[in-house]
Amino acid sequence: MLGTVFSIEEFSVYDGPGIRTTVFLKGCPLRCTWCHNPEGQSPRPEIVRSPNGCIGCHACERLGVYEDGRLRFTGESIRGCPQRLLRLCGEELSAADLCDRLLKNRNILQKGGGGVTFSGGEPLYQGEFLLECLSALKGQLHTAVQTCGFAQPELFSRVLEHTDYMLFDLKIYDTDLHEKYTGVPNAPILENFRRLVRSGVPFVPRIPLIPGVTDTEENLGALAALLRENGVTYAEVLPYHKMAGGKYKMLLREYNPGFDECQEPQQREELFREYGINIQCL
Amino acid sequence: MTEFVSKMLQQLNSKSYRACRSQSTAREDEHPILYPVDIFGFHHGSNWRQESHGGNLTPDYPMLLNLGMDGIRQQLVTRISQSSDPERIACGERMLAALDGAMEICRTHRETVKKEGSQTLYKALCRVPFGPAESLYEALVSMKALIYCLRVENVDHIGLGRFDQYLYPYYLRACRLGMSREEILELLEAFFIELNYDTDLYIGMLQGDNGQSMVLGGFDGDGNSQYNELSQLCMEASLELSLIEPKINLRVGKNTPPELYEFGTLLTKQGLGFPQYSNDDVVVPGLISLGYSREDALDYVVAACWEFIIPGKGADIPNIRSLNFPLVVNYAVRDHLAEAKDFETFLTHVDAAIVKECKRLIDARKDTIFAEQPLLSVFVAGCVESLRDLWHGGAVYSNFGCHGPGISNAADALMAIKKLVFDEKRISPQELISALDADFEGYTELRNLLRECPKMGNNDDAVDSLASYLMTKFSDFMNGQDNGHGGIWRAGTGSAQGYVRSARICGATADGRKAAEPYGSSFSPALDVKTTGLLSVIQSFTKHDLSTIINGGPLTLEIHDSLLRNAEGISKTAQLVKIFIDMGGHQIQLNAINREILLDAQKHPEKYPNLIVRVWGWSGYFNELEVDYQNHIIRRTEYLR
Repeated sequence: MLGTVFSIEEFSVYDGPGIRTTVFLKGCPLRCTWCHNPEGQSPRPEIVRSPNGCIGCHACERLGVYEDGRLRFTGESIRGCPQRLLRLCGEELSAADLCDRLLKNRNILQKGGGGVTFSGGEPLYQGEFLLECLSALKGQLHTAVQTCGFAQPELFSRVLEHTDYMLFDLKIYDTDLHEKYTGVPNAPILENFRRLVRSGVPFVPRIPLIPGVTDTEENLGALAALLRENGVTYAEVLPYHKMAGGKYKMLLREYNPGFDECQEPQQREELFREYGINIQCL
Repeated sequence: MTEFVSKMLQQLNSKSYRACRSQSTAREDEHPILYPVDIFGFHHGSNWRQESHGGNLTPDYPMLLNLGMDGIRQQLVTRISQSSDPERIACGERMLAALDGAMEICRTHRETVKKEGSQTLYKALCRVPFGPAESLYEALVSMKALIYCLRVENVDHIGLGRFDQYLYPYYLRACRLGMSREEILELLEAFFIELNYDTDLYIGMLQGDNGQSMVLGGFDGDGNSQYNELSQLCMEASLELSLIEPKINLRVGKNTPPELYEFGTLLTKQGLGFPQYSNDDVVVPGLISLGYSREDALDYVVAACWEFIIPGKGADIPNIRSLNFPLVVNYAVRDHLAEAKDFETFLTHVDAAIVKECKRLIDARKDTIFAEQPLLSVFVAGCVESLRDLWHGGAVYSNFGCHGPGISNAADALMAIKKLVFDEKRISPQELISALDADFEGYTELRNLLRECPKMGNNDDAVDSLASYLMTKFSDFMNGQDNGHGGIWRAGTGSAQGYVRSARICGATADGRKAAEPYGSSFSPALDVKTTGLLSVIQSFTKHDLSTIINGGPLTLEIHDSLLRNAEGISKTAQLVKIFIDMGGHQIQLNAINREILLDAQKHPEKYPNLIVRVWGWSGYFNELEVDYQNHIIRRTEYLR
């Protein structure tokens, strides 16, 4: 079956054990206001324009079309850019083709003690495609799935059966705030988290540190308590970078994160330590 | 860091030494000066400017340390008295005069030191560089004196060679005499700081290109590691000081432990653009097959950048010419593309164009006359014995190296021609030539078609094998050709400044590159090529048997500095280098870079006085680079995230 991939990144070092290739699958059920991969949100391929190196010739705009007063780039826009700054973000390819491509680096990934990580977007958003890839790679390459955890329990369990490792995002413990900042409630996420713990699949929890949103004492305290309850002693924290907004321009979208970007995110290492949790900052 | 070292660092950073210099303007230029905190002396006065008369090699430091200048003088006098050849006697006398001049400079400086400098230094100068060095400190003072005197003789790009090997006996002696590890580290750090003075006066292609390369580690003939305690102390000194000089080069091989790569990556993380790694398993056999003795090949070092030479023995000129690969492909396109019945036929025309251009390069250098360098000759093995200048038959090796800039651009161009002109017939030869002539003005779509063809760096056999074809034809012809100066030619994968300069004279190319646009650096993907990633890049660049094209020229990887932000990233990056070496890569250098910082530094240079980048085979201050070279580095980071 076909899946939509928006990037394949070789030599990712923070997405699981060893040297890895990370596959970014397009489409996500969440709309986190701080999302730094906005091109991963929509499940459909879309044309993006890099701002670096634009000479201002406007060829792409002349060759685009207007829909509801909004500019939309076309294939003509891509071909007409002298700087080649436009590209179709989102390649449709079959699980077999994708796996062939990944297996081309099998030797080197194995030498580096690593494998392949599926990320996104939200990889479970293309659940059947993901499962097909995981099954195809079984026994050939170590696999990991990086997930926001928002998925049907049945699908989530099937993914757990097929992956070697999981990177599980925990964002906000309070369900109202979770819904406010990500667009969805967090009950299914917490359920899946417990499911993951029970499954015995090795995993690492990851917490984005968004200033004033996720990095508060209450929130991190609640998440740390949740981790301790589940016997977790290690977590990775990802401080917010101001660069996150950069990609929205490429999609001709505005970036309104809804918090003060200039604030330094708090790591609260001490707090985690009180709960017996070591954190590594990425 | 000891108090003394931090005092020296402070002095260096405050640039107060410039003021010291101006006090000395009354003196003769070649009279070395002292700084307030100074245990080595021999600094250039402010009026001195180096001219380039030749160099780019490593003098025979062991000869200096073992015999001292007096001992060498004695040998020279004996040789002269035994010779009956008037030409050789005259040459020997010129060497003698140069050596006497150097010793005179050292004696004069000793008197200055006695009056106003460190008495420890004075005591050392009573012995060295005249006599053999007895201690590690004396050895370093002796080297400093020699390097100074060579600079005065306008020898440029003076390498430091295998510092950890020839100084190892002195290190052991220091340990035996009770010097602590900390004291030795302090001494090394003081010497390293010394190497950062005066570099603004040294000549190079660009500011910063001064050739102070230090080679550490390596393996002996039995495969035993030569990375010793002194090598480790040098690495620690460089890491702690985080200064641009000396530029560290690590000799590695399949048996190099991961920990050494990890320590090297800590240096990379400092953003210094080094260490550069070279692979003994590829370089040593490569040099042997070019005719170097096994013993000498095992002792190899790098010249100023990455050209492989033999320290103290070579009058090799490893960068004398370059084969401009994309230009040669363009010759073949213009003269033969239209008539070629298939791609294989066209390739034979490319081969012929390579041979023709190599012949032209060889002929152009056959009759070149090189000026004598009598003082340098004294410190190149063989010259004193034969009473010949190093450039005129005195040295053991007198080979020429030919760079090969633009390999990936040329391979990409051939790939596009194969795919679009021959396989798919989407572009006619005439159309392609017209587009190249027009520098793609009015041919945007055609140009984008060319740019969408497979490119080197994606682990794609179709294009990588074309690069291999180009390299094979180049090295098959060039390696071993008589250079007319008692040596041979050697082919290499380097570009040096050719990625800008050779590229300037090359019109538009069939990979979609516009006229005069730069090539990729040395043995690296073409600029503006979005590769599928670092894993593919290192596979593409290790497919060819690189021991056959071993003049030097590294894969240069730009990595985003965020890859090195913690121990996990450092260890995995180290592993990537190890995998490259284990797969048969010959040479690699890494630039840990943040594109935003480089862009900001162009706008606000005052904010980044210490921003260092790897340029082509050396590290330079970003602010001191010409804008073309700044832009080249920024463009290499286009696709980093």
